[in-house]
Amino acid sequence: MTEPHGTTAGRADEAAEEWHSGTDHHPEIDWVAAERSPEFRELVKKKNAFVVPATIFFLAWYTGFVLLCGYAPGFMGEEFLVDGLTVGYVLALSQFVMVWGLAAWYLRKSDREFDPLAKRAADRALEASAAAAGGRFDRSQEAAASADEVTGR
Amino acid sequence: MTFIAADINELALSIFGVVVALTLFVTYLASKRVTNATDFWAAGRGLTGVQNGFAIAGDYMSAASFLGIAGLIFLFGFDGFLYSVGFLVAFLTVLFLLGERMRNSGKYTIADVLSFRMKERPARSAAALGTLSVAGFYLIAQMVGAGVLIQALVGIDFALSVILTGAFMIIYIVMGGMLATSWVQIIKAILLMTATIVLTLFVLNEVGWNPINLFTEARAESPEGQAYLEPGLFLSSPIDTVSLGLALVLGTAGLPHILMRFFTVPDAKAARGSVMWAVILIGAFYVMTTALGFGARAVLGSGAEEAVGSGGNLAAPLLAEEVGGGAGTVGGDLFLAIIAAVAFATILAVVAGLVISASGAVAHDVWSNVVRHGKDSEKEEVWVAKLAAVGIGAIAIAIAVIGGEGLNVSFMVGLAFAVAASAIFPALLLALTWRRFNTSGAITGVLVGVLSSIALVIISPTVWPGPDSEGGALGFYDLANPGIVSIPLGFIGCWLGTVLSREEVAERSFDELYVRSETGLGAELGTGLTLTGRTGGRRAAAATTTLPHP
Repeated sequence: MTEPHGTTAGRADEAAEEWHSGTDHHPEIDWVAAERSPEFRELVKKKNAFVVPATIFFLAWYTGFVLLCGYAPGFMGEEFLVDGLTVGYVLALSQFVMVWGLAAWYLRKSDREFDPLAKRAADRALEASAAAAGGRFDRSQEAAASADEVTGR
Repeated sequence: MTFIAADINELALSIFGVVVALTLFVTYLASKRVTNATDFWAAGRGLTGVQNGFAIAGDYMSAASFLGIAGLIFLFGFDGFLYSVGFLVAFLTVLFLLGERMRNSGKYTIADVLSFRMKERPARSAAALGTLSVAGFYLIAQMVGAGVLIQALVGIDFALSVILTGAFMIIYIVMGGMLATSWVQIIKAILLMTATIVLTLFVLNEVGWNPINLFTEARAESPEGQAYLEPGLFLSSPIDTVSLGLALVLGTAGLPHILMRFFTVPDAKAARGSVMWAVILIGAFYVMTTALGFGARAVLGSGAEEAVGSGGNLAAPLLAEEVGGGAGTVGGDLFLAIIAAVAFATILAVVAGLVISASGAVAHDVWSNVVRHGKDSEKEEVWVAKLAAVGIGAIAIAIAVIGGEGLNVSFMVGLAFAVAASAIFPALLLALTWRRFNTSGAITGVLVGVLSSIALVIISPTVWPGPDSEGGALGFYDLANPGIVSIPLGFIGCWLGTVLSREEVAERSFDELYVRSETGLGAELGTGLTLTGRTGGRRAAAATTTLPHP
């Protein structure tokens, strides 16, 4: 492979060269329309409704733990139920449970909810580009096939 | 403790030999399959989620995790466990904010994501600076640590240990690229998990299968008493503890060698699955550091404080020797030798991951795209990457050998996390989520993050004004961990650089990056096929590079 790689549409244009030379872009898709499509809006809305509160929660739970370690070592050293087990260690273990729990929850939601929405949004964008291309190829079949190709599904 | 003497531990050496032979065999298999740049940097994007999960665990858990945390808990009790918690929680940041988005948007390096909608050359240069700072600090700390450990555990001289570690690391990368590196990391993760589980079972047996006894017996063996089970013995400054915690939890999401691993899987679903596997493995491991650390205190007692070394790094190997039957017995010698070999494999897997990420920054970002404007061939790019790996490896070996075992590396891992959290994490997150973010913002943010982290560490009491100093350059500033100052500075840098300039192209192409990162539309494919099949140079079928399970 000796040809230059990472070539994009605007390559020949000197003024455009400082932009986008190393990563493959796909100008054939109308990304602005895709971003505004109701399918993509729904994906982002649903995903953020989970990810944003989950992120705030884990950062708060963890920061709270670290703050207690720093400023309330006595409290963290108090006995929890049995001699030897401390409040600090139990709170530390709660962090492990939180990580496993949130990660598993996110995976479940992604598989059942976010992935189908993402596929819908991607299909919609491909269909729109195919329509804009003026029926140069059969939309219903080619778009479906290339949607699978593009999203790697 | 005969093994600390300069004579060679033949048993440990032979087990080392077996581990190294296994990794070299995998490298040989990989070398026949790695042909193009996608293979070299991204293992053809052919790893499964499970494989990448093990590889992430292998890439992430350094000897500092295995030996360092066990040692810290042995010496200072609860504070050591604080690191275990931070290292794991960090993966939620990766899972929720960056993992899948990196997979969907990037190609080989984190600079691909940063430069996607920005001025190519400055953005790549900034990302390469961040990558090389993190990988450089981390690598030197690992190399010095490798030398010290191998000298103590096997009896091979410090300089020779460093050179051997560096040589194997270079062989893996030059021969087998990311494919070999990934499998070395997978093998290491399996070895580390197995050894830790076995050691934990032995320790639990010692304390009558009641984990609570770990704490009561450890407390009884500590002159600190109940304070041993409380925070504060090691991290005595509260604000420093918080600062460290923040750097750990945001820094992991900015470690280039971890983020790079997400380019090795076929899609976002596999990227997500690999984080799940990684948190299962890493979480289980860090829970077991309880048995390693508190167990070492309970079993070895306070009498071993001298023998474990200043950082406590030999606590885990000594514990293995003791529960195996004690020094001089067959069981004790064998268990010690196995733990030593696992520690060695641990170091090899981590340094290989660091060097391949640094080689990406040098060859793909600086050489191919900044110097050659993307007009070089793919073959040239891979050649430069291999040369860069040799060069970076040689420099790291030289610094470690010349600096010697006395080189103060204790601050370097912390510095690597601080730079990752303050320079790389803010820029990547904002590039993927903030429409207004642009080239000036990215450059300002990365520069402010890198420089403030380094400057704050230099004036910290750990470093200023010289070896073993307790002074600090400024009387009022006494933080050992800069995170709580440098992370906000990094974000402010990104924001300030952005609002002081206007780049319409960056804002316009946000739509493409945003939709691509969330849906995977247009993402790099494992097979090299692109949307139109006409983008050129990216058509090589890389799917065939999947390695059979060794």
